[in-house]
Amino acid sequence: MTLTSKQDISQKKEQMHRVLLGKKQILVTEDEPLLVQLERAGIHVEYQCREGYCSSCSIKLLWGNVSYPFEPLAWVQSGYLLACCAIVKSDIEIQFL
Amino acid sequence: MSYSTFNRKKFDSMKEPMFFGENVNVARYDQQKHPIFEKLIEKQLSFFWRPEEVDLSNDRKDFQRLEEHEQHIFLSNLKYQTLLDSVQGRSPNVALLPIVSLPELETWIETWSFSETIHSRSYTHIIRNIVNDPTLIFDDIVTNEEITKRADSVSKYYDNLIEMVNLYNTMGFGTFNVPGKGDVEITMPKLKKALYLTVASVNVLEAVRFYVSFACSFGFAERTLMEGNAKIIKLIARDEALHLTGTQHMMNLMASGKDDPEMAIIAEECKDDVRNIFIEAAEQEKEWATYLFKDGSMIGLNAQILGQYVEYITNVRMQAVGLDTHFETKHNPIPWINAWLVSDNVQVAPQEAEISSYLVGQTDNSLDDSDFDDFDL
Ligand code: FES
Ligand SMILES: [Fe+2]
Ligand SMILES: [Fe+2]
Repeated sequence: MTLTSKQDISQKKEQMHRVLLGKKQILVTEDEPLLVQLERAGIHVEYQCREGYCSSCSIKLLWGNVSYPFEPLAWVQSGYLLACCAIVKSDIEIQFL
Repeated sequence: MSYSTFNRKKFDSMKEPMFFGENVNVARYDQQKHPIFEKLIEKQLSFFWRPEEVDLSNDRKDFQRLEEHEQHIFLSNLKYQTLLDSVQGRSPNVALLPIVSLPELETWIETWSFSETIHSRSYTHIIRNIVNDPTLIFDDIVTNEEITKRADSVSKYYDNLIEMVNLYNTMGFGTFNVPGKGDVEITMPKLKKALYLTVASVNVLEAVRFYVSFACSFGFAERTLMEGNAKIIKLIARDEALHLTGTQHMMNLMASGKDDPEMAIIAEECKDDVRNIFIEAAEQEKEWATYLFKDGSMIGLNAQILGQYVEYITNVRMQAVGLDTHFETKHNPIPWINAWLVSDNVQVAPQEAEISSYLVGQTDNSLDDSDFDDFDL
């Protein structure tokens, strides 16, 4: 058991990415979508469905990569991400409306 | 040119544009040019609900205890929503079915419109529960100036498109004299422009116009008033969030030129018109907020806060269809609304336990105040 959890921790460490938002910097993992991790960091993000179909959580992605475990129903404008379902895959910089 | 309910031509529907190609013949969903519309259909079907599942008996008592200016807010919003869903329950069918060319999009339009009829039925359910004579409420919708002003704005693009398509289907291209209107010129670019502006105005209807009313319903419910109504509005809001994605896809597909190259040119030409549709609607909604609160505000909401919310949500919606935002407001002034707008199956909101009760029937409608201690307005 101990061994597994240690592995978990080291795996998670490898997956940590920096999210730059203005002057703020938030560390996120690949385990959960960006939205919940921003909320946990005390940042208010607009949302509605939290399931990828309403596009309310759309945020500008200035640089970096995200991926979607399921293709969202909402249209994702190029240069934007959907925070409720995007998994951060590299250091990224984002900007609100 | 003229519409056929079963087009006898043999053609590859995978090569048709969304609109103004061949009339759809075989309703087949094994292949889709734009799979998104099939996914929207499936999602909408998974959302199916019936208003009668929501118990409104407490709302009747609550309503009687509301102050007069609060009753005005509540009833006016109901009337406005009734208007919007009356339009939406028929117009996508009447305006878009005669010109649609893809089976999956045709069925999305029908599925979408059908869900609007559920919304309309739910207003009757709500109104019947709180007043003795629903006719007084319904009759006012066609005479109340504040409502009819808005009826003009939400129906004019639809009506124009319907008229042009009628002319096109009977007469083809050309210039025709319409009694009371003068000469109307029918060309394919003009038809496509009318379509694009209609889709934009429908997007604005569903993505912006409903939200003042939603905010008020949830504002009452945060005070544990009219909670049955809020449950219904929550279900309506979930549907509307899906509908707005449908029109966003149509607009973005059109603008991309991937569906129909000519449509991309028209979308570009219409950019300023579409911006103005958004801005005009936002201004009307701000006026509506002022009308709602003319005799007094409700706790946590007033015309100014709602005005800022309208500006904020309009910015969000403009960005979603590739337009630059228009308003200065950069923050949601009523962030608590999102916890009400979220889908039932996602755990966020403190009212989660209460909301799920509609699923198991009409059980738990009597929570006491302590259940809502976490709320802040
Ligand atoms: S909250 Fe709806 S798409 Fe993200
Ligand atoms: Fe509706
Ligand atoms: Fe709708």
